[in-house]
Amino acid sequence: MSEQEPNQKYREMSEVDYRLKCDLRVKEQKYYLGKIQDSGLKPMERFLAYCPNPSLNMKRGVTFAHMDLEGIAGAISEGKPWAVVSGLNPSGPLHFGHKVIFDELLWMQQQGADVFIPLTNDESYVVGKSKSLAESRRIAYDDVIPSIIAMGFDSNKTKIFVDSDYADIYNVAMDLSKYVTLNKVFKVFGLDKEDDEIDRNPGTLFYRAAVQVAQILLPQYPEFGGPKPTIVPVGIDQHPYILLARDMAEKKGFIPPSELVMKFLFGMDGKGKMSASRPGSAVFLTDSPEKAEKTIKASYTGGVTLRDFQIAHGGIPEICPVGCLREWHFENDRHVSERCSSGKLLCGDDKRETIEMVKNYLRDHQEKREEARKRIDKFILKTPIRSIFEE
Amino acid sequence: MNLNEILSQEGLVTQTPNVDEVVRRASGVQRPLKVFYGETYDSHGNTIDSMKYYFVVANIGRALKDFGFEVDPVVLVADVAACRNVDRKLERHYLALGEERADFVQKTSDVYGLSLRVLKMSDYLHTDEFQAELKRVSEICMADNQLMKMVERSVPESKIEIERKKKFAYSFDEITTIMDLDIKVGPPREDLYDGIARNIAEREGKNPLMSVFLNPTFPLGKDWAYFFAHEGIEGHGITAYKAGSKGLHKHRILVGRTTCEEARSLINSSFISINPELPNPVLDVAVISEMATKRLNNDDSPSSLYREFYTGKISQAELKERVAEELNKNILSKF
Repeated sequence: MSEQEPNQKYREMSEVDYRLKCDLRVKEQKYYLGKIQDSGLKPMERFLAYCPNPSLNMKRGVTFAHMDLEGIAGAISEGKPWAVVSGLNPSGPLHFGHKVIFDELLWMQQQGADVFIPLTNDESYVVGKSKSLAESRRIAYDDVIPSIIAMGFDSNKTKIFVDSDYADIYNVAMDLSKYVTLNKVFKVFGLDKEDDEIDRNPGTLFYRAAVQVAQILLPQYPEFGGPKPTIVPVGIDQHPYILLARDMAEKKGFIPPSELVMKFLFGMDGKGKMSASRPGSAVFLTDSPEKAEKTIKASYTGGVTLRDFQIAHGGIPEICPVGCLREWHFENDRHVSERCSSGKLLCGDDKRETIEMVKNYLRDHQEKREEARKRIDKFILKTPIRSIFEE
Repeated sequence: MNLNEILSQEGLVTQTPNVDEVVRRASGVQRPLKVFYGETYDSHGNTIDSMKYYFVVANIGRALKDFGFEVDPVVLVADVAACRNVDRKLERHYLALGEERADFVQKTSDVYGLSLRVLKMSDYLHTDEFQAELKRVSEICMADNQLMKMVERSVPESKIEIERKKKFAYSFDEITTIMDLDIKVGPPREDLYDGIARNIAEREGKNPLMSVFLNPTFPLGKDWAYFFAHEGIEGHGITAYKAGSKGLHKHRILVGRTTCEEARSLINSSFISINPELPNPVLDVAVISEMATKRLNNDDSPSSLYREFYTGKISQAELKERVAEELNKNILSKF
């Protein structure tokens, strides 16, 4: 075997890999563009052109589309009350994929928003993501809420609630349920009456149609100052909930909520979005720095095997979990992407630098988390909803 | 300022014929070259934005005279058109407002030495000559599907049914008025009328009018969120000559009404950006104020404001300060 043969083999592998990753980038771009067109959303370019201080996620293209952001812009510029709602299933600790959304919420709070964060442990239970309500409740208080507080939210403008502990949310759901028909729910979610899921667990229908919408419209109840512009940052898969909430808001005399759509952070395994349910795909905010290092070292990248090939052709930062993890959380501009795609930054160096950033962040965050535990009570929403009982 | 410098002014002119074309036309006609701007008005007052058009008509006229051509620079106050969509009881009031607008144009011409001829639509609309031309133009359009489609497109969607009932009288008056012009100055939206006039002239082997479009007008005292929420405003703006366009009369500088303090406050609270693709209402007022200043100082040099602002030689704060001072000294205090 000549000396050149292995090199040739790696070159061919690199070429194939590079082409595949280029295709993946195109597919990725088409996916999000298609979603904008199919869902009646608007791209962010206009907002970016006019807003004097857009969020970093908007500048990075992570927040890529919106519906009715105009009303929110008006509230920001006029200093009028507005709210943002975004929650999650407390089925495990937060990871960097969650942090992207909370970074956006923080920016909104700095622009004047009241932040509502529902932790839907009831949903975790209903859809079978957690074994019991008690378990998801424990995760919410032990893992999730301290991390959220540690990110720097202002307790005067943040209202966190764990659904099963805030029973008023079910009264709100009951109040709203009269504004929705079963047909509407089936249509919005593209469900079929013969659907197995519906047959197996009809409770999810009430959850989707009423409880989720109750969380979105809660800030507009009189207890929180009445109708106001409200926005919900979501992943594109949540779009139907917003449509349903907009429909019900109009019937209730509320302002239809706006929507801000964010891209998913890639899982470190390169197999889809970062998810707690896929070991190796997520870097958790509760991970030890050593564990995070191990996960990142083993991560899929947007680069190729042969060093020379990558120097000549560059990497594909748009689909690189390491590049995205770094740029979405630790950089103020696109210089990492530019260095990567021009072949100036190779995967090994990128991983090394990213690991340091992540480890530093985790050390700091975990210190703040411990301190945050003492302040949980200040953030928990306890306001009773009495207005729905008025005659 | 020569014709080329006038027609290529950044931040003022968006579309023009080329200078050779204008000179060819001027050399070919056996009468003074007609340079024209026409406007309606409303009850909210005279906008500073109209003055932009008066200055440009005058500047084009002066540059052509310097070439040795005879020129007839006209500003038309379309009083009859302004009355078309108002309640019958208000017609007299609106005709009186037309007199006021004509006086304003005349005063502007006198103060700044613009040598404009001020004309009212009511002065010629009922003449036999105009009526005969109106009949001819209407018949040409109605006999041709393509032209009628263009006429329909010239009407805002919200008014199409009313105009259909009125047999497009407003549009035909407008088209007939501009049929034999040489250079017509106006906002970009008027391409809808200009195109029809050009189309008819070309069919008849006549000289088609040449359009000079100026930058759209934008409201003052509105911040970024307003412009973000009004998609498409970059292209069409608001109506320059109607103070109440889009109900924004409180966001306009009304000559003779807006005080210096109010103007300063509007300017200071206005959206401004270093992105030349975005509306810049402050720069627009700055350009108008500068044209007034140059006229008063007999300064014929071209404006460099646009370049200075977008290359960072003048900061946003400096521009706002400068425009507030020039506006007060050289426009508001003169009326």
